[in-house]
This record gives sequence, structure tokens and C-alpha cells, in this order.
Amino acid sequence: MIDENEFVRLLENEFEDVEEGSLKPDSSYREIPNFSSMYALIIIAFIDNEFDVLLTGEDLRSTETIADLYAIIQKKLNK
Amino acid sequence: MKTPFHLNEKTILVTGATSGIGFQVVKSIVEMGAKVVISGRNERKLNNVKKQFGDAVIQLLAHDLTDEKEIESLASLSVNLNGVVHCAGIVNPYPIRYLNFKKLDETMRLNYYSAVVLIGQLDRKKKLEKGTSIVFISSISAQHPHKGGATYSSSKAALESFSKVVAMEYSHRRIRSNVVSPAMVKTPLYEKAAEDASHESMQAHVDKYPLGIGDPEDVANAIIYLLSDASRWVTGTKIVLDGGCLLGY
Repeated sequence: MIDENEFVRLLENEFEDVEEGSLKPDSSYREIPNFSSMYALIIIAFIDNEFDVLLTGEDLRSTETIADLYAIIQKKLNK
Repeated sequence: MKTPFHLNEKTILVTGATSGIGFQVVKSIVEMGAKVVISGRNERKLNNVKKQFGDAVIQLLAHDLTDEKEIESLASLSVNLNGVVHCAGIVNPYPIRYLNFKKLDETMRLNYYSAVVLIGQLDRKKKLEKGTSIVFISSISAQHPHKGGATYSSSKAALESFSKVVAMEYSHRRIRSNVVSPAMVKTPLYEKAAEDASHESMQAHVDKYPLGIGDPEDVANAIIYLLSDASRWVTGTKIVLDGGCLLGY
């Protein structure tokens, strides 16, 4: 598994209007410019694609920051 | 009064029979006098359905319809049929940019391939009686897609076209094929969508329904009509069940 900072960079790369280096682990991903239900779908699919981990809507609702996302992926991978 | 609006003396196969629309279809058609063959992946759940409806359920077929061989075996084991209601299906929203053949396959196999092979196999094994009525469950999203619907909406559009081909290829035996196309219905799939979506976006969607969102029973009632002899002149068509949500579109 990649480290947290690399995860932030990868996620950053998935969104059009996000400048490189602008997101931090403690950034709230919901504050990404133009965040919408489509972006939530993109996050779920990106994580499924990259790490073979499927997040539910409930998982997503329980998270706020990118670090939270990273933690939940790790938790699921370790199960 | 003699009415064609009943299912007495009809034997009907229902796939996806253990939950959602499929379960309601079993319940409704049993009330209308049909004998039912139920299919689902989970034997325990099938037994539960059998327990609820007793002798009206004449056969249980625990098969995974994403597997061609299993469909073949289901068709071999099935008794002769006067109706088929193919309810098995999945929703798996996914943005286009992450789709690949494997991901597409997950939805297409169950929502589309299984329908084609099921009808083909039932026919080859001579299980479809003259005058059989086939009903597929589509969705208004076949024509009115949603973001993330590249797999689901497309699979339902394919299913709708397939139903017309069935109607053409089998009309000489008076076998009919039709589609019901519901908008949002309160099923476990809906519960899952509601759970995944934010509350505001779900409420905004529900507000678009002049008659509110549907119950599985509303869909089953249309299916009863399509299975009965009351619809003997109806084939290759579609009944849209949307509580008025497409009015004005």
C-alpha cells in the first residue's frame, strides 16, 4: 500500500480543477471545487479501481478528510 | 362473469424471486391463481419464499444466472411454462473513466446476457408452451439515464431491444414478450441507492414524482396484466410505470 501523501497526490490527479499540491491529508475532500454526487461516485470507483476496495455510501458518510479515506482503505485491506 | 384477468392454470417462472420486485411478483401472481417456479441464487431464501406461499410454489431452482452452465441446468430442470418474469438484476453505478470489460461484465451478465441465454435455453429445452408470455423488468433509465449509469442504463436499453426480437422470433407460436419500465420503486435496491446518495439529492428526486415513488405491488400489477390472456394482443411493447415523473419531458 502506498503512503498517505502519495494517496493524496493520486486522488488530486483524479479531479479536473484541483491544482497539484493544493490538497493535504487533513483537507476535507468535500471542499474540492465543484464537489458533487458525481465526485463521490468518482472517489468510490477510483478506490475500487486502484486498491480493489469497495466503499459504501455509509463508509463515505463516516469520512471527512482525505486521511479518513486513507484510513478506511487500510482498515478494509487489513481485514 | 367470464374475465381474462386471472392467471388460473398458468405456470410461471420468476427469476430474482427472493427479494424486491421479484418477491412481490411471486406474491401477486399466486393471489391471481398462478403456480410458480422460483429462481434465485440463495437456496435458503428460496425455501423461505416457498414456506410463505406453500403449494402454489411448485419448483425451486437455486441457480446463479451469471453462469451460462447454470442457466442451462435451470432450463433443463424447469417444468413447462406459460409465463416467464425475469426480475434478476443489479445496479452498479460507475463513472465511465474507470470502466473496463470486467466491470461492464458484472452488470451486463446478469442484466442482459442472462435474459438472452435464459430464453434461448428454455426454448431449446422445449419448456415454453404455445402462448407463453415473457416479461422483462427494464427501467426508465434505459431512455432517461443517470450519471454513473453507463452499465445499468445501457443494459436495460439492450434488454428492451432484446424483448422486441423475442416478440418477433416467437410470434408464430403466439409467444409474447413485453417489458415493464418502472421509475423509482421502494425495494432493497432503492434502499441501497438512498443510503449511498445524500439525503438532499434523494429528496430532490422523490419530489419529481406527482404520485410519489412506486411500490413493488404497482409493478407486479402491470406484470399480472401482461402474463394474463387479457393482454393476448400485446407484444413487443413496454408499459412505463413512473408515477407521472416523466410528464413534461
